[in-house]
Amino acid sequence: MKFNPSSFPMPDNAPEPGACVALELLEDGKLAKLTLEPPHREQTVFDGPLMRDLNMRLGELEGMTQVEGLIVTGRSPLHFCYGADVNSIREIESVAQATESARAGQMVFQRLYKLGKRGGGRIMTVAAVGGAVPGGAFEISLACDAIVLTNDKSSKIGLPEVKLGIIPGWGGCTRLPRRVGVPTALEAILKGTLFDARRAKSKGLVDRLAWPQYLDRIAADLAMGRERPKVRERGYKTWAVDKNPAALKLIANAATKGVMAQTGGKYPAALRAIELVTGAPRRSIEEGLHEEAIILGALAVSPECRSLVSLFQGTEDAKKWGKLENGDSAPGFERAAVLGAGVMGGGIASLLARKGLSTRLKDLSRGALDAAVLDHYKGIAKAKKRKRMKPAAADAALDRLEVTTGNAGFGRVDFAIEAISEVLEVKRKVLGGFAKDIRPDAVIASNTSSLSIDAIAEGLPNPERVVGMHFFNPVAQMPLVEVVRGPRSSETAVRRTVKLALDLGKTPVVVADHAGFVVNRLLGPYIDEALRLYESGSSPQELDRLIKDFGMPMGPFVLLDEVGLDIAAHTATSLHEAFGARMQPTELLRPLVEAGELGKKAGKGIFIAPKAGAKKPGRLAMLFGRGGDGPQLNPRLRRSGSAPAVTNLSPEEQLDRMILPMVNEAARALEAGVTETAAELDLATVFGMGFAPFRGGVLAYADALGAKEVLRRLERCSGHADVRNRGDAAERFAPAKLIQAHAEAGTRFREDLRR
Amino acid sequence: MTESTSRRPVLAAGLRFPQARAGGRYGKEDPGHLAAALARELLAMNAVDPAAIDEVIVGCVGPPHDQANVARVIALRAGVPEDVPAFTVARNCASGMQAVTSAIDQIQAGRGDLYLCIGVEVMSGYPLVMNDAATDFFSNLARARSGPAKAKALAGFKPGMMAPRITITEGLTDPVSGMIMGSTAELLARDFGLTREQCDQYALRSHVRATEAKEGGRFDAELIPYLPLGSSSRQGSLHHDDGIRDNQTPEALGKLKPYFERPDGVVTVGNACGITDGATALLVASEAKSAELGLEPLAAIRDYAWSGCDPTRMGIGPVHSTSKLLDRTGVGLSDFGVIEINEAFAAQILACEQAFGSSTYCSDKLGKSSAIGELNMDLLNRNGGAIALGHPVGATGARLLLTTAHQMQAADTELGLATLCIGGGQGGAVMLERIAR
Repeated sequence: MKFNPSSFPMPDNAPEPGACVALELLEDGKLAKLTLEPPHREQTVFDGPLMRDLNMRLGELEGMTQVEGLIVTGRSPLHFCYGADVNSIREIESVAQATESARAGQMVFQRLYKLGKRGGGRIMTVAAVGGAVPGGAFEISLACDAIVLTNDKSSKIGLPEVKLGIIPGWGGCTRLPRRVGVPTALEAILKGTLFDARRAKSKGLVDRLAWPQYLDRIAADLAMGRERPKVRERGYKTWAVDKNPAALKLIANAATKGVMAQTGGKYPAALRAIELVTGAPRRSIEEGLHEEAIILGALAVSPECRSLVSLFQGTEDAKKWGKLENGDSAPGFERAAVLGAGVMGGGIASLLARKGLSTRLKDLSRGALDAAVLDHYKGIAKAKKRKRMKPAAADAALDRLEVTTGNAGFGRVDFAIEAISEVLEVKRKVLGGFAKDIRPDAVIASNTSSLSIDAIAEGLPNPERVVGMHFFNPVAQMPLVEVVRGPRSSETAVRRTVKLALDLGKTPVVVADHAGFVVNRLLGPYIDEALRLYESGSSPQELDRLIKDFGMPMGPFVLLDEVGLDIAAHTATSLHEAFGARMQPTELLRPLVEAGELGKKAGKGIFIAPKAGAKKPGRLAMLFGRGGDGPQLNPRLRRSGSAPAVTNLSPEEQLDRMILPMVNEAARALEAGVTETAAELDLATVFGMGFAPFRGGVLAYADALGAKEVLRRLERCSGHADVRNRGDAAERFAPAKLIQAHAEAGTRFREDLRR
Repeated sequence: MTESTSRRPVLAAGLRFPQARAGGRYGKEDPGHLAAALARELLAMNAVDPAAIDEVIVGCVGPPHDQANVARVIALRAGVPEDVPAFTVARNCASGMQAVTSAIDQIQAGRGDLYLCIGVEVMSGYPLVMNDAATDFFSNLARARSGPAKAKALAGFKPGMMAPRITITEGLTDPVSGMIMGSTAELLARDFGLTREQCDQYALRSHVRATEAKEGGRFDAELIPYLPLGSSSRQGSLHHDDGIRDNQTPEALGKLKPYFERPDGVVTVGNACGITDGATALLVASEAKSAELGLEPLAAIRDYAWSGCDPTRMGIGPVHSTSKLLDRTGVGLSDFGVIEINEAFAAQILACEQAFGSSTYCSDKLGKSSAIGELNMDLLNRNGGAIALGHPVGATGARLLLTTAHQMQAADTELGLATLCIGGGQGGAVMLERIAR
C-alpha cells in the first residue's frame, strides 16, 4: 500500500516538503535524529504536511545502512506532539475517508516500526518525548523500540481517543496491549487517562524517565546501545492473561458490563475499544491495524463522535477568553477574598485556596466559617489519602485559607467574590463597604444566580471591574462557570475572571447579563414541566428514568433534591419575574418548602431518603416487588385536584414535554445574545446541567431532530389537554423565532457541527 | 522621635491562639500549620505585607523531625516571601521569649527593623521512639543480606523491644541532674517549707483569675478563635484556653495524689501546669518602623536579662534573671504595675515569692546586701497563669510578653515584667514600658 498524503487535510500554509521533520545524523552518522517541527504550526500535530514529511524521512532512513540508532523527538523536551489534529476529525465526511486516513497514519508508523528491532529491522529506535503526549503522539512512540519520557510535571501521556468518541486507530489498540498487557491497556484506553510521568513509568507505558536537560543524552545512549532499556517483565501474567482466551473473555465481559452500567451503551467507542484490545493478542499487528482502521472509520462519522469532538473544541475555544485582547495571557490573581461562608462561598474559597490563591473568607458567623474550614480540611485530607495531592501540596492548600469575622486583612486582595444572600440591597450594601477594604483595581465578582450584575455594580466605585462568576453546587465537582459580562464590565475584568476559572480547572462560558444566564434559565422550565407532568399523572420515578435514559446523569426530581427545593423555588420565582408567563412555576413545591423539607440537605424533599442503616429489602421481597422501589415519595407532594390527569402520554411525549421547553428557551437565549455562539450555549448545557454529552448540547439536539420536527413536537405538546388548560403558562411551548427561522430556511443552530 | 528612641524595639502587634491541653483539640496539629495560620492572621489583621519582614524567628522546644528549621517551614507556609530568612531558637521553656530577645538584639544592632517572632509548641506531637534494643534489632536486620543471616537477625527479637521511649517524659527531665521538672519543684518546696495547702491554694487562685479574665473578655484582645485540624463536625472553633477549670475547688485539688514524689510530695497535676499545645506570634519592630507601618505598638521593650541557676532548683530562675534585669536598669521590683511569672509549678512560684523577699537568699545566691523586695502578689498573673492556661513550652515566653503588654494597656501602667523559669536551671526576664501617645 502506498502512502497518500491527501488522506490528510493539507492546510493552505503547508510548507515545502521536508520542512516539517528534520533529519540529523550524529555520532559519525551512526545515530539519526528525527525532529518533528512543523514551521506552520505553533503546536505540533499530525496533519498532512507532517505525515508527508515523516514518511519522506523514513524513506530516506531506510536507505541509510550505516545508521544504528534512531531518536524520534520534538521541538523541545516539553513539546513533542499533541497527536492528531482534532479539527481534521471534524472535517471527515465519510466512513471511507476516515478509514483511509487511519490506514495512512498506520502505514507511516508501521514504516517506523519496521525500521526498528522489534519490527525486524536493524535500527534501535527510541522515542524521546515529553510534555503532553496524547493519542497519535503516544502511538508513534509505541511504534518505537523504547520510549523515554521527560520527567516533568507537564508530561502527560496516554490514549484519550475514547473521550472523543473514537478509538486509538494508529496502532494504539494493537500495540499498547503488547507493551503493558491487556488489563492495563484496557483501563488506559477506556478511561482515556493521561498519565503523569511517575505513573506512566510504573504502569510500563514508557521505559525510562529523564530530566528535560538529559533527555537527548539518554535517548542517544539507548539508541546506541550504551544503555539497555529495562524491559518490564510481566512474567506468568503474559501466559495466564494475555495468551489465555478464557481470561480475555472474562475481562472483556466484565469491562463491557462496566461500560454498559456507566453509559447505557450510548458511547459505542468504549465497547469497540474493548473488542480491539482484548482481541489484540490473537491478531497479528497487521490484522490488528486493519481492524482498528475499519472501526475508526465507522466511529469517526458517528453523531456521538461529532458531538464529543465539538465539546472538546468548545472547551479549547473557551480558552481564548482567558487571553487579553492583545493575545497575552490575562494576568492571574494573587490574593482572593470570598464574602459569605455558606455552601457556595465556602466551596469557592476552598477551591481558590487549593488552586494556589491565598484566600481570605469572611462571614459574620463563626459557625459558618467553622463549617467551611472543616469542609476544606476534609476535602484536602481526602485528596491526600487518595494520592491526588502530595503531602506538601496538601499542606500548602490548608495554609492558604484564612477566615475572619472582621474587616481587616483584605488590603492586598486583587480578586473578590461574593456569595452572600441573594438580595440586591444586601449585596450592594456589603460590597459598597467592602470595596474600600480591597485594592482599588481588584476585580469584584458576584456568584449571583438570579440578580443582574449591572444592578449589583450600580453605585460601586469603578463599576467596570464588576463581573459575574457563577459557580454551581457542589463547587469542587461541577465543571462549568458562567462568567457574566455586565454592560459596564471591562474586557480585562471579564478575561481575567475567565483565566481564573480556567486556572481553577473549570470550563468557563462567557454569558451576557440576562436573568438566569444559560443554565438556570434552561433548568427552570425543564424542572417546572417535570413537576407539572407529575401533577398530570406521571410518576416521578418514571420521569427520572426517562431522563436518565436520554443521557442525563440524573432525573429532574433527584436533581431537585440535590439542588435544594428552596434554591429551585427562588430561581423559579426570579425567572418568572424576568420572563413572565412562560416561566410561571407550579405551586407544587410550596408545602415542602414551608415544612423545611428542602431536599438532600434536609434528608427529605421530593423523596424521603431511606434511614441510615435501614435494612435493604431482601431478595425475596424484591422478587415480589416489595420495598424495592428505592426512596419513598414525600407524601406532602400532592397533586392538586384541579389538574386534569393525563394518562395516555407516550414516553416520547413525556420526554418532549421536559426537553423541548429547554430547547425553546435555549433558542430564545441565543436570540437575546446570552452567549455569542450556539456552540458556547451548548457547552454550558453539557457542563452545567449534564445535558447528555453524546448529544452535543441542547441546540445540537434540536438540530439532530431538525427544526421542523421540533416545531411539530412543540405543537403536539401545546395540544396536550393539561397544557391547553394552563392559560398563559402554555407559552413555553410557543416556538421561539429562531426555531421557526431555521425551520423555514432549512438551516441549523450548529452549522459548525457536521452531520 | 530621636535617633535613640526610633531604634527602640517595640511589641508592634501580637496575637495568639487559645491553648489546648495536649492530646486534645490540637492533637492533629503540627507547628508548621498551627504557627503559619496564626502568623497569616497576625499579618492580615495588622495589614502588614509579609515582604516587609526582615527575618522570622521561631522558638520551639520540640520541632517535629519532619520540619527541620521549623521557623523556615512556618515562614514559607505563612506566605512570607522566599527571600526573607528564618531561624529557629531553643532555650527550653523560654524559647518563645528567646525569639523576641534575638529580634531585640538585631534591631538594636541596626540589622533590621521588623521581625516576626513566634513561640509554638505542639506537645501532642512529641513522638514515641524505639528503645535502643529495638534500634539495634532493626539495624541488624537491615544489614543482614542472606536468608540465614536474616533469620538469625529476626531471632534476636525480644518483647522488651516493644517498649517505646516516651519523648515527652524524657524531654521534661534535665539530663544533667537527672531530675524531672516536678522533682525540682519538690526540692524548692522543701527548701522553702511550702505546704501542699499553700500550693493548692495558689493553683485555685490561678483558675479563679483565669475564669474571671475569660468571662470579663480580658483575653479577647490577645487571642482569636481557631478551628484546629482534625476537628469533628460537632466541634466548633476553640475560643478559649481549654485548661481553665471554671469550677475548680480546694476539695477537688486536695483529692489529687502527689505525682512525682509519694507519699510526702506537694506537687500534684492540679498545682502544676498542664502539658499543652499553643502558639503566640509577635511583631517586634523598631519604633520608627512600627510608625511607618501605621501600627499602634502594645508596649516598648526596655531591656532583658538571662541568667543561670542550680539545675536542680530551676524554678527559682525568675529571681535570678529579674535581679540581673533590675541591676541593669536601676528599676525596683515595686516599680512594676504588671508582673507575669510563668506558673510552671505553684511551689515554684511561691518559692520565688519567698526568695525575692529573703535577704538570706539574695545575699547567699545573688551576692546582694539585702532582699530584692516584696513581690506584690495582687499584681502577679492577674489573668491567671500556666496552671490554668497551660504551658506549651516553646510558646509560653512569647505569650507572657503578649499578656503583659495587654495588661499594661488595660491598667495604663508604666512598667511591666515578664519572667520565667527554664528547665536546666536558667531564668529569663523582659521589661516592657509604656509608649507615650
